[in-house]
Amino acid sequence: MMENAWIIPLFPLLSFLILLLFGKRLKDASAYVGILLTLASLVYSLLVLFERFTEPTFKTSTEWLRIGDISLTAGFEVNQLNALMLVIVSLVSFLVHTYSKGYMHGDERFPVFYAYLGLFTFAMLGLVISPNLLQTYIFWELVGVGSFLLIGFYFYKEEAKAAAKKAFIMTRIGDVGLLIGMILLFWETKSFEYSEIFEAVEAGAVSTTMITLTAILIFIGAVGKSGQFPLHTWLPDAMEGPTPVSALIHAATMVAAGVYLVAALFPLFAASETALLTIAIIGAFTAIFAASIGLVQTDIKRVLAYSTVSQLGYMMLALGSAGYVAGVFHLMTHAFFKALLFLAAGSVIHAVHTQNIEEMGGLWKKLKLTAPLFLIGTLAISGVPLFSGFFSKDEILIAAWEGGHPVLFLLALAAAFMTAFYMFRLFFMVFTGEARTPMKNVHESPSMMTFPMIVLGVLAIIAGYVQTPLNHNLGDWLVDGNEALGHSHIEGPIWIMIAATVVSLAGIYLAYMIYYKRSIARNWLSGSGDTLHTILTNKYYIDEFYQMSVVAITKGISYFLRFIDVFLVEGIMKGVAGIVQGLGAAGSKLQTGQTQTYVTVAFVGMALLAVIFVLTGGYL
Amino acid sequence: MDLSFVLSLLVFSPLLGIIVLAFMPKTEEKTIKIVGFLATLPALVIAIGLYLHYLAGKALSDFSVAKDWITFGGLQGAEAGFWKVNYELGVSGFSMLLVLLTAVVATLAAIASIYIKKEWKGYFMLFLLLEIGMLGVFTAENLVLFFLFFEITLIPTFFLIGKWGYFEKEKAAYSFLIYNGLGSAVLLIVIMILFAKTGTTNIEMLTQMMNDPNVPLSGDLKLGLLIALLIAFGVKLPIFPLHSWMLRVHVQAPPSIVMIHSGILLKIGAYGLIRFGMGIFPEQFETLAVLLAILGVINLLYGAFLAFIQTDFKMVLAYSSISHMGIVLIGLAAMNEAGVQGAIFQVVSHGLISALLFFLVGAFYERTDTSLMENLGGMAKGMPIASGFLLAGALASLGLPGMSGFVSEFMAFLGLFEEMPWIAAVGCIGIIMTAVYLLRAVLGITYGQSHRDFTGVLDLKGVEFVPVVVLMALIILIGVIPSVLSSPLQATLETIMLGLGG
Repeated sequence: MMENAWIIPLFPLLSFLILLLFGKRLKDASAYVGILLTLASLVYSLLVLFERFTEPTFKTSTEWLRIGDISLTAGFEVNQLNALMLVIVSLVSFLVHTYSKGYMHGDERFPVFYAYLGLFTFAMLGLVISPNLLQTYIFWELVGVGSFLLIGFYFYKEEAKAAAKKAFIMTRIGDVGLLIGMILLFWETKSFEYSEIFEAVEAGAVSTTMITLTAILIFIGAVGKSGQFPLHTWLPDAMEGPTPVSALIHAATMVAAGVYLVAALFPLFAASETALLTIAIIGAFTAIFAASIGLVQTDIKRVLAYSTVSQLGYMMLALGSAGYVAGVFHLMTHAFFKALLFLAAGSVIHAVHTQNIEEMGGLWKKLKLTAPLFLIGTLAISGVPLFSGFFSKDEILIAAWEGGHPVLFLLALAAAFMTAFYMFRLFFMVFTGEARTPMKNVHESPSMMTFPMIVLGVLAIIAGYVQTPLNHNLGDWLVDGNEALGHSHIEGPIWIMIAATVVSLAGIYLAYMIYYKRSIARNWLSGSGDTLHTILTNKYYIDEFYQMSVVAITKGISYFLRFIDVFLVEGIMKGVAGIVQGLGAAGSKLQTGQTQTYVTVAFVGMALLAVIFVLTGGYL
Repeated sequence: MDLSFVLSLLVFSPLLGIIVLAFMPKTEEKTIKIVGFLATLPALVIAIGLYLHYLAGKALSDFSVAKDWITFGGLQGAEAGFWKVNYELGVSGFSMLLVLLTAVVATLAAIASIYIKKEWKGYFMLFLLLEIGMLGVFTAENLVLFFLFFEITLIPTFFLIGKWGYFEKEKAAYSFLIYNGLGSAVLLIVIMILFAKTGTTNIEMLTQMMNDPNVPLSGDLKLGLLIALLIAFGVKLPIFPLHSWMLRVHVQAPPSIVMIHSGILLKIGAYGLIRFGMGIFPEQFETLAVLLAILGVINLLYGAFLAFIQTDFKMVLAYSSISHMGIVLIGLAAMNEAGVQGAIFQVVSHGLISALLFFLVGAFYERTDTSLMENLGGMAKGMPIASGFLLAGALASLGLPGMSGFVSEFMAFLGLFEEMPWIAAVGCIGIIMTAVYLLRAVLGITYGQSHRDFTGVLDLKGVEFVPVVVLMALIILIGVIPSVLSSPLQATLETIMLGLGG
């Protein structure tokens, strides 16, 4: 199976091509093309995963481009991480394809939507089986385009247009970091292949400074893609895209690509203390920073978006604390429960046609399936014991503590508290109490939409049991004796687990008191209109800051250069034209029309020639 | 089989069309357009034949032809092939690709000539003459012949812009002529000095002689000649600050001519720099490498920042061309395999991408009578296919992997990072800016709400599909399987590297 794993990304590519060419004629049947082809990918991915449990890593490549003596290759690799990612991506993609059949029903550009989903899935699957950095970069950019197209799916909306553009540009800033890092690393190691890079690093062929530099540059790419501070602002705006897209791209798969990249290059990062520390700090800071913004958002999708940013920060913190297994583990559980939350949120939006949680309420009675599923997702992300998020978050906290970052550990713990709080705030506001605005015809979504949610709901509960304090199956398999990846499980003191449970329950309790019991006023901490609240609702004014700094500077440079273009360059142009004109005028003065002058000139010329002829001895 | 007639046939095949057109009544619009299009086909077929010949593993030197043409009698060394200017045509892997590019773009531009509204007969006769010039430039094996063909491209272009362009066409045509005329004057001086000093204009002989210490050319003179070449071809490319003429041309010339101009004519500058600058004066080229890298980064950033604030989409693309030619310079300045190959890739890639984008601009203009972004907007609603291609073209231009732009940009930067990492790092800002200005422009046109009422505007139809589909297919082909370009280039590259001494 593994030797043919290259076919997995090609199914969705085929879907993209078919729908691009024949989508108009296929109309609603487009959905089935997409669903069946991603199902094929899923089935094949599962087979590959099962085979990978027993078989060793498979890798193959062939020459793609020759540059003199340099041979750049393309191929694919099925190692543990890749096999796991294949299943996560194809599973979530398949479920989102199914869900969209109901959610996007009636949209004029229904086939186009499925075509874009196919393109994205192709790129994402291609990304996770790339055996070298160059190929990773290629698919890395292509997933960006898939994301861009889907964020801007409602192209006629100005907000969607702005969000799509922002997503592309912000991630591209990161991508340039990745590109530079990758090229510098190439000249150090003479290869883009992961295996050869690791060998060179291990053999000490690359200086520590260079490792740190390239690792941090590559990490900048991950910062852009995974919405880490300071390049996070595009991700909440990306919620302009249709909700299934948010579930697939901006929760479960693409935004996790940054984490995947760090994991895939882990031996490189592990070789530099500074690089790891940078990742850990950025991750922990992003986790609490985004969580704090999530506390006050009123758009159901934006709360989830900030939550995603925050959770990705968690994963980075794990990797930065040398918790390879913890990071990958949380990537997996998060993919399930966050996709579930987004799909459930989509189901809510589908039912009530608003995203503002201030207008919702009392939906528990009306959405009999969506509501409990949303609750499962909420419990999982809040880290309530026995749900998947509990186990993975616990691993991360232990990694941070044992990694010797007590401050970062505390930040992560505080973020966990906030997460539990804002998620339950969301839950109580949407599903309990009374509807705050009159809602008619609210009914549960069709089974095409609830089925994927149920699958994810089950996974959100059970996915954590692959790696618990009692068994390290996932870790053992992922690490498999590879020392560069660290331990399969980090033993930590039991109080960490208790502390994590306590902060999570405390967050839930506070949300319960405020938003369900209403025994604590909503503005108990900060009087409404208070500075802190204003800062948070305005997301720390980061967007405004970029607008006033980066954007303004860019415009300033452009106008300055225009000044040069208009005055200096055009001036040169006028000068040149003037010289030519002057010569022309001088030339036309010679054309006096007086025969005498002409004859005189001719004779003088001939005489001169004769003199030269004599002087040079007839050479000319 | 003797194949030496093939290149002459290739270069002069458009002549047949000119002759046929000469005998046609000038009112037969449809027939003239069809004849004009058909006349570009023989060259295309032959160019494809050259590529197939290469693929079949046969030598491209089979096509070389050399016939006595002009002899400067009675001078010493005449018998050894000196003091002669022969009629010499030939192709290497590099020039074959440019011939193929020329033939493809010329045929597609002939299709794009459906937008020409008047005096079709004169238009197509000049158009075909222009094609002869371009094909000749890339096949000429000596400098005099090169210069001759080079001049042949100038005159038809001047008239094609001046007569069939938009509102300020005359002004554009004159600035084109002045700049390019001066550029070719400088080029002529270089050629004459080389001939007087060495007794030959054959490119291969010159390349060999420059390494020969007995040749009476001082290093300073060589450097001077190289700088002169840099100016001559810098006008063409164009290199900042010699670019202002080309902005006017891009805005004022008809779409089909801009396709050729941006797709091929600008590339003559790059071709000249590589073939003559780097080929004949490798040592001096090395001393100018840092300067070239800086010029390249300036071009890249200057074009990108100015493209960012334009209001006319044509101006965005014009500045974008300046910016993208910066990548050619960046690659050349690296002077290693990756850089030079990247520069050559960029020449071909940009030829295809800019031809596509300018064709689409023409298609939009034809329907909306504007290319100002403030007038457009929301075009994806009425023209989804054209908008889709426009977006895809922009993505290709900003270097999206899977398309040709990425491969060239990547190699050029890969090359420069080895030699001058700091300059390359500054240049990387251009990669971000390219995305910024292209998305601003293209989304401004296709996304959002329409600023004017364009109901009833039709999408691409009929023959309009041919250029967009062919160009897009080639762009993706090169992006996915870059070896279609790189394998013919290896021999050329080796020769250049040998000259560079490593």
